[in-house]
Amino acid sequence: MKMKFRILGGLAIAAATTVILGSCTADPDSAGLEYMPDMYRSPAIEPYVDYGQVRETENVDMKMSLSAMTPPFGSVPYYGTDSLEVALMLPYHRKANIAFRQTHGMFDDELSLDDTYKMAAADNNPMPLPTDEDALKSFFANGKVLFENNCSHCHGVKGNGQGEMMVTGKFAGVPDYANLTDLSDGQMFYSIYYGKGSMGAHRSIINKKEIWTIVHYIKKLQDSDYGSPNTGVDSQEVAEVTEDDQ
Amino acid sequence: MKISSSQMFRNFNKWCLGLATALFMTGTFNSHAQGGDLFKAKCATCHQVFKDGTGPKLYQVRTKWEEGGAKEGSIIQWVQNWEVAAANDPYALQVSKVKASAMNAFPTLTEEQVISILDWVDEQEETVATASIARGAAASDVEEESSLGWVWIIIGAMFVVIILSVGGVRRQLKNAEAEASGSEFDASMSYSDEFKLWAWKNRKYVGLGGLIVVVSIVVTLFLGLYSIGVVEGYQPSQPINYPHSVHAGEAGIDCRYCHNSVTESKSAGIPSVNVCMNCHKQIAGTGEQVAEIQKIYDAAGWDPEAGVYTGKTQPIVWNKVHVLPDHVYFNHRQHVNVGGVDCKQCHGDMTQQMETAMVMPVEELNKIEGNVTLSKPTMTMGWCIECHHEKEVAMGPLYKEGGSEYYNEIHRRLMSGDKSLYSQYLEDGKVTVEELGGWECAKCHY
Repeated sequence: MKMKFRILGGLAIAAATTVILGSCTADPDSAGLEYMPDMYRSPAIEPYVDYGQVRETENVDMKMSLSAMTPPFGSVPYYGTDSLEVALMLPYHRKANIAFRQTHGMFDDELSLDDTYKMAAADNNPMPLPTDEDALKSFFANGKVLFENNCSHCHGVKGNGQGEMMVTGKFAGVPDYANLTDLSDGQMFYSIYYGKGSMGAHRSIINKKEIWTIVHYIKKLQDSDYGSPNTGVDSQEVAEVTEDDQ
Repeated sequence: MKISSSQMFRNFNKWCLGLATALFMTGTFNSHAQGGDLFKAKCATCHQVFKDGTGPKLYQVRTKWEEGGAKEGSIIQWVQNWEVAAANDPYALQVSKVKASAMNAFPTLTEEQVISILDWVDEQEETVATASIARGAAASDVEEESSLGWVWIIIGAMFVVIILSVGGVRRQLKNAEAEASGSEFDASMSYSDEFKLWAWKNRKYVGLGGLIVVVSIVVTLFLGLYSIGVVEGYQPSQPINYPHSVHAGEAGIDCRYCHNSVTESKSAGIPSVNVCMNCHKQIAGTGEQVAEIQKIYDAAGWDPEAGVYTGKTQPIVWNKVHVLPDHVYFNHRQHVNVGGVDCKQCHGDMTQQMETAMVMPVEELNKIEGNVTLSKPTMTMGWCIECHHEKEVAMGPLYKEGGSEYYNEIHRRLMSGDKSLYSQYLEDGKVTVEELGGWECAKCHY
C-alpha cells in the first residue's frame, strides 16, 4: 500500500514538473520585468502609450485605444507673430473637390463642388525667394532636403519620375517634371496638399510652408536658372501678388 | 539638326529593328513601341492595363465601348477631350459619371497616336501572380519549432517516471533479496534516510558539488537581476508583418517620410494609414503580401475592387517596440536636428531589417560604419551615458552658421570666458556632449 502511494507521488511530481516547465515560455509581447512599474507609466498623456493600466488602476475603456490624437476639427496652432510666416501657415483657403471623398478618403473634410484644382491655377507662390545669393543657395539646399525626404523615392532626385520606386518596378505612372512646365504653382501646391490621381495627400506629412518651398524647388528642377536675379522671375513681384491674394 | 555618328548608328539600329518587325508583322504593323511610350508618359499616371485605379482599366476598352453601344471613333474623341465626346455621344456621357474625378484632356494626341496606345494596351498579357509555396513551408517550420519544446518536456517527464519506477523496482528487489537471505532488512529506512547515508559516505564529493550548485545559483540570480529592464532583442508581434528592408531598402524611401515627426517632435511617430496609402493605393502586392496589404485597406477603408474609399476605417493596433520608462525624457528632435545623430546609431540598419522592428542589440549597432562604438546594452542608461561621453558635438551644428542657437550660445560663452576650461575640454581633441552638460541628471530625469 505504502509503495503504491510512493509511485503515485512520483508520478504526481513528474506531472507537476511537466506543467511548470511547460508554462515557462516567455510572452513575446512583454518587454520583461520592470524594477519599479509605478515609475514606468504615469498618468500624463503622451502619444503611443497604452493607458489601459496606470499605476495599479486598470481602465478597461482605455485599453488598446489611441493615445495619439488628431487635433479637433478647425483648430489652428499658434504660428508666432511674423505676419508672413502666419500667412503661410494659416489653413489652405481652397477646399478639395467633392471627388476626393472617394478617391482620397477625405470623409472628415469640408469639400467643394467646384473644380478647385482648376481654380488653384490662379494662386501664386506666397513665399518670396530670397534676393541674396547665399540665402538663395541655402533656401534651395533646404528645398532639396525636403524634396529628397518626401518626394524623390517616386519622382526621382532630378524630378524625372525615375525614383527608386519606379526603377524597381513597384510603382508606375509618375510623370517627368519636364513635361509639366505649364503647371502653375497653385496647382502644384494643390496636388501636393490634397494629392492627385495615384498620389496621396501629403498635408499630414509636410506643412504649408514646406510645400511652398518644395514648389520653388520643383521649379528649380525644371529650370536651373529659376530664382537667379538675372532671369525674369522677380521675387518682389511674387510677394506683391500674394498680398493681393489675401 | 546635328546628329553625331553614334546617334546616327543608334538611329540606324532602330530603323533596322523596325524593318525586321515590319517584315514579321506585315500588314498589321504600326508603331506599338510608340504606343507603349505614350501610355507610360500620358496615361499611366491614372490608368493601369489590367486594374482599375484612379481611372478604369484600359485592357480591351474599345471592345467594351463597342458593346456598350458607343458611336464609332467616340473613344478617340474622348481621349482628346472627354467633354466634347460626352456632348456628342450618350455612351460617353454615361462613362463620364463612372469615376468621381474628371479625366485630363489630351488635345495634342493625334488619332493615330491614340490608336497606337490602345493597340499597345490590348497586346499586353496579364502576369498571373503565382501563389507562393514558401509561405506554407515557413508556417510549418514555425509550428515544428514550437511543438519541439513540448517533445522535450514529454521526454523529460518520461525519464523522471522511468528513474522513479526503476528506483522502486530496485528497492523491492533489495527487500526480496534480504527476505531470501533471511537477514533482517530495515523496512523503516526511507528514501531520505538512504540518501543521507549515501551522502555521508561520499561527503567530500557531495560538499564540493553542493558548493558548485550554490555558487552557480547565486551567479544566475545576479545575472537575472542584471537583465531586468534590459530590452535588447525585444521584438513584439505586430498586426502587420511589415518589412523595413522592402520600404527603406529596395524602394529607397527615406526614414523621415513615414516617421515624419522625428524632426519636429519628441516622438518619431508611427505613420498614419493615409501615408501607407500614398503608395499602397496602387501597390496591392503579390502572393503572401496580398493578405498583409489588405489589412491596410481595411484600416483605411479602401475598397480595392471598386477603387474607392468607403469611409469605414479602423485603427491598426501596433505594438510599441522602444519603450522608455516615464521617468526618462528622450527627445528625437534634439538628437536628429541639433545633435545630427543618424537613425542607424540607435536603430541599426533598417534597410536590412526583413522582419518586424526590434530593439537592436548593441553588438549589431557597433558593426555599422560611422556609429559610435558602445559596450552597454541598447536602451539602458549606461548606453545613453556612454554615447554622451563619446559623441563629439562638433559633428553637430555647434560650429555651423545658423545652427542651433543653444549650442552656439554655449560656444560663444566658452570662447569669450575663461579659455582654460575650453582647452581642458579640447585635451582629448573634441568637445563631447558630456562636457556641455550631457551628463547632468536633470537633462533626462525630472
